[in-house]
Amino acid sequence: MVQWLHRGALAVALALGALAAPAHAQQDAAVIKRATELRESPAESSASLGALAADSAVARTGERKGSWVKVRTPQGAAGWVHMFDVGAQSGAAPASGNAATGGLRSLGGLFGGNSGSTTTATATVGIRGLGAEDIANAQPNPAAVSQAEKLRVNADQARQFAGTAALHAQRVEPLPEPPRPTPSGGGGQFNPDTQSAN
Amino acid sequence: MRLPPLLSRATLAATACAAALAFAPAAVHAQGMLNLLNNLGGAKNSGGGLLGAVVGGPANNAGQGEDLIGLLSRSVESIDEPREIEIGRQLASVLLGSKPLHPDMQLQRYVNQLGRWISLQSERPGLPWTFIVLDDTGYNAFAAPGGYVFVTKGLIDRCADESELAGILAHEITHVTAKHHLHAMRKTAQSGVLTQLVASQIKTSAVGNLVASQLFALGRNLYARGLDQTDEFQSDRNGVALAARAGFDPYGLVAVLQQLRTATPDNPMFTLALATHPPAQARLDQLEQAMGQRLDKYTGTQPVTVAQRLGARKK
Repeated sequence: MVQWLHRGALAVALALGALAAPAHAQQDAAVIKRATELRESPAESSASLGALAADSAVARTGERKGSWVKVRTPQGAAGWVHMFDVGAQSGAAPASGNAATGGLRSLGGLFGGNSGSTTTATATVGIRGLGAEDIANAQPNPAAVSQAEKLRVNADQARQFAGTAALHAQRVEPLPEPPRPTPSGGGGQFNPDTQSAN
Repeated sequence: MRLPPLLSRATLAATACAAALAFAPAAVHAQGMLNLLNNLGGAKNSGGGLLGAVVGGPANNAGQGEDLIGLLSRSVESIDEPREIEIGRQLASVLLGSKPLHPDMQLQRYVNQLGRWISLQSERPGLPWTFIVLDDTGYNAFAAPGGYVFVTKGLIDRCADESELAGILAHEITHVTAKHHLHAMRKTAQSGVLTQLVASQIKTSAVGNLVASQLFALGRNLYARGLDQTDEFQSDRNGVALAARAGFDPYGLVAVLQQLRTATPDNPMFTLALATHPPAQARLDQLEQAMGQRLDKYTGTQPVTVAQRLGARKK
């Protein structure tokens, strides 16, 4: 149960479940980005269970160990591949998403219990999370900020938490900055048209 | 959305001021909010008076009506840390006006401990970091200047383990340490759209104070629009390194982005998060280039789920 809550498609999975779709919605379809090996355990040094060709289809099981995720091949073999070697199935997500979300909306109120009563804009979109309209209509609530500030912890309390959680600070070099993906120039120039909001 | 660029700042300020004054009677129930700003030394409805307080030093141009636009337009560096925190506090009150605090105080405390520990490894460990779980089933995270970091309950519920939540908190923390929001607000202020924002929101903001109106307008605009893509890429990159510094599996954020990649923009739980960020695939491509296998040696930690961590605390 908890296992597939995190698969990103919680709403989709629930909607599919509610619509009596096959019960394997938690296994995400994925594609191998570049030729690699299917590893027996989550390490480069572990035994290879076979070659995986670029663009071959796999299903993600939801299991992850560090940089490795467990996948299943259509032939039924299960093993590990590096996360960066797994891509999303091209084109599939939007199509199924449309259908599933449409179904979700028509279900109305499946999640409505939590957020429906606190928002006024839900009527037009059915159920959804915090949206731009909520923020546009928000009346400042300084009392809630004060309340939240009372829940702060200080540095010593944080260190104590880390101690019991066996978390250790370590030196990590900053990562290099790769070249920008798109050659959209104008570094510091404000331009509403190139903001990420579209 | 674009305004003629040559309107003078004075004109803009005057227009906004007039608009604010016209709605002054509505200000009564925002009084609590205004007290703080007024206590900083400003007279109500007077941008000039407030300026002296917000900018610091003697109000050398009393009556000239310089305001937040002027402050932000000069440089982000002119905003010292107390003012940065105060601006963040105002923006936090907007976010907490859109969704309430989640009532699970144990969860709030846990996220504060987790976030505070990560913030201790950041470039600004001394800020009064405040971590807040919003009672919302949607999937999102926000930050505000001065150390305010928000995650929705829906986001926490979808984190497979603590390293994913740590990755998200670290991403937001680096927005704060790099002052991304202040820079974005400066750009908006300089672009001249601020007055339009204030005017378009005056009916809902119920604030008869120019600086507060401007701040709330900027804040609403910012959170609905999102930051620059460059800033998001930078926070992904630096957030991953920060999470590793705090002892977490640095692939937590990568896992989050891979699951975000499968979410669709018309999924109402993800709409705002997806609309305000670069496509998850672009973020993953950037992270892959930056990370390579540099951080793979930090991945040995045993995964712990949020539920396990909370369960352990009850005993």
